Amino acid sequence: MNDVAPSRYKWVGTRPIRPDGVPKVTGRAMYGADLAYPGTLYGKVVRSPHAHARIRSINTEKAKALPGVKAVITGSDFPNQIFEYIGPERVAVNFWHVTRNVMAREKALYEGHAVAAIAAISKEIAEEAEALIEIDYEVLPHVIDVDDAMKPDAPLLFEDMITRGVEPAPTKPSNVSKRLEFAIGDVAKGFKEADVVIEKEFKTAAVHQAYIEPHATIARVDADGQGEIWASSQGHFVVRALTAKLLNMPVGDLRVTPAEIGGGFGGKTVVYIEPVATLLAKLTGRPVKIVMSRDEVFKASGPTSGSSMKVKIGVKKDGTITAAEGTFKFQAGAFPGSPVMNACLCAFAPYVVENQHTVGYDVVCNRPKSAAYRAPGSPISAFAVESVMDMCAKKIGMDPVAFRLKNAAKVGTPMIYGPKLGHGGYIETLEALQQHPAYKTKLGKNQGRGVASGYWFNGGGESSATVQINADGTILVATGSPDIGGSRASMALMAAETFGVDYKNVRAIVADTASVGYTHVTGGSRVTFATGTAVVDASKKAIDDLRARAAMIWDVDVDGVVWEDGCAKPASSNVGDFKPLSLREIAGKAAATGGPITAAASVNAGGQAPGFASQFCDVEVDPETGKVTILRFVAAQDVGTAIHPSYVEGQIQGGVVQGIGWALHEEYIYNPKGQMDNAGFLDYRCPVASDLPMIEPLLVEVPNPVHPYGAKGVGEVNICPPMAAIANAIDAAIGRRMTELPMSPPKIRAALDHSAD
Amino acid sequence: MTTAQVTLSSGFSRRYTGGRREFEIEARTLRDVIRALDKMYPGLGDHLEEETTVAIDGAIHDAPGYFQKLRQGSEVFFIPKLEGG
Repeated sequence: MNDVAPSRYKWVGTRPIRPDGVPKVTGRAMYGADLAYPGTLYGKVVRSPHAHARIRSINTEKAKALPGVKAVITGSDFPNQIFEYIGPERVAVNFWHVTRNVMAREKALYEGHAVAAIAAISKEIAEEAEALIEIDYEVLPHVIDVDDAMKPDAPLLFEDMITRGVEPAPTKPSNVSKRLEFAIGDVAKGFKEADVVIEKEFKTAAVHQAYIEPHATIARVDADGQGEIWASSQGHFVVRALTAKLLNMPVGDLRVTPAEIGGGFGGKTVVYIEPVATLLAKLTGRPVKIVMSRDEVFKASGPTSGSSMKVKIGVKKDGTITAAEGTFKFQAGAFPGSPVMNACLCAFAPYVVENQHTVGYDVVCNRPKSAAYRAPGSPISAFAVESVMDMCAKKIGMDPVAFRLKNAAKVGTPMIYGPKLGHGGYIETLEALQQHPAYKTKLGKNQGRGVASGYWFNGGGESSATVQINADGTILVATGSPDIGGSRASMALMAAETFGVDYKNVRAIVADTASVGYTHVTGGSRVTFATGTAVVDASKKAIDDLRARAAMIWDVDVDGVVWEDGCAKPASSNVGDFKPLSLREIAGKAAATGGPITAAASVNAGGQAPGFASQFCDVEVDPETGKVTILRFVAAQDVGTAIHPSYVEGQIQGGVVQGIGWALHEEYIYNPKGQMDNAGFLDYRCPVASDLPMIEPLLVEVPNPVHPYGAKGVGEVNICPPMAAIANAIDAAIGRRMTELPMSPPKIRAALDHSAD
Repeated sequence: MTTAQVTLSSGFSRRYTGGRREFEIEARTLRDVIRALDKMYPGLGDHLEEETTVAIDGAIHDAPGYFQKLRQGSEVFFIPKLEGG
């Protein structure tokens, strides 16, 4: 356990029990599937069995006629959407695509693609109705792999897709949705200056976020058009906005209540079943509930992209990097929008590299549309870049941490995306590894140690909070951020610190879309930073009000009242001889001094600092079976200020675990028909406790001065280094450079059967 | 009035400013920058507000805000919007 900030704050940096802990461990917390209204209908989504097929026709008449069936819908029941990319490049949304991902129209583009939906009085009747829907498919050739999808003769998902970002624009359509390019300096000159140049190609598999809770929702729409949605998501305001847009409803006609969420990791920032349930509810006048099965989650909700990459790095003998270049080809899935831009921007961000060049390709293929996954894009390019970094260090005979330290980005380092780095923190993570007693321990036969680093932007943006002082002096803090990683505890800690009251007197909740101001998703490691800022702002406003109320009670000027240790006190003896007034005492006079004491704050929080992580791991490879056992994992991360250190450590451990799964086990396996063969946790191999060593988090605190308590985002960057750290450790153990994820036993065995490079 | 060094991404400049990427703009706040660019390229202001993340002296702001203050010589980069998981 890290000993963090023992004296700076009274509450920030402590480890109290989370307010949502008891309902969760006693099974009483309400998740997406747990709510039921009287008269709720069972909603079932009918899905394509084909990876790629033209839908010639869908006949729903027989299904609609089945007693107990209340509605059957297809893509044509949704309003049309204009074909245009709206918004910024990385997240440019084309609702023509979004509505077709929610429900197919002209074509089914992946196995599991929704093609119709049924609302019936029971599961059995819905299943019977499904069998009565007649769909005439023309099965088309499909393409799964990104390199195959880029070939000139590849089957086209969209016959009119012209690659964006290429000038002049291509005249022929392809599966390449977009090409991106970023550069600083002169890479040709940089490579000429290098003593050693290493270039390598890599591939990574598509992996799912694998949240334990499947997508689940219940929706109802009243006769006046007012609708309510209960859903498990990372952002109920985004569920409201997307559902309203897809159904052509005014945003104000929808109220979305956040259920507890059983994991999201980026995958619950988009909608799949919410617009379907809402449309079925609108048509039937009854509540409709849809719960995805695990099979549906794998086949029809976003994994992150698989990739094909080439990275080249040039270094001098003294360890100075002179140039770096990367080409990153990402599977977007069935619709454009992979995180390849982030991969291009983050790839070399931890390092001072005067000459850099990255190119990215966003490529559609017959897989589910990719969705965000923990630092989207960055872990993928980090696998390639950090592997080549390791090869460079070995080639010039330098310790991998020392090599990284020599080139480490610091405040003022030019970034490939334009500005200079505004915050430090990376060097400190490397020093934490260097100073760790285990870093120098000797390893045995078939054992090896690997090091890698990672970079992630972290997020800020729009968040809202309200604070209410209850009659007994306790405090209610409401925010619009779904709590995935313990944010209610963090919000309560920051409010307690600001008010100067005991943590147990603060209750933090997540409010619905009608009860608190707009708040962007719980994603991008933004909540503690942005929503925390809103909580502190609202608390300060409430304190100003409390001071004014105390001034009224004492008949003094408000400037004569200060707030200290949870009480109003006279600013000096000149103000008068007054006993401090507690929150409870001021709340008791609320009516007389102006009514209920509440405050709200909304922010567009900027100046968030990026996250840096550095990790090392020790592995042992069984040469007979190819099994890799992780012996030790040490993960250092710059966390700004750890508001609740236990949950920061949890984020780091969770990111590393997911990275271990990505490195060693997880992948989408397709059969020759383009159907996923391992859509369940028995065959899609997530790490379990017995696969894992103790993951030791090292909290490095370089506070962000922009945040009231120095917080930085902590949720994502920890997943960037593990894949390369493990690959580098395997290379150290058996002398084989693994370039394809997952590094499963058959691949290790195959590598051992061949001579080393 | 202070002067800010303003840079657009290459893709953005290709689309909206005929390839010009760098500007020196007299501005106290980001609002002044957006207003000045919009005057030079009508409609550009909306694109900047909706489609970019802005970095001011290296500090990243997810969405440009009118209220963001600049100092003499501030470096302002409008870069593609970023989104996390």
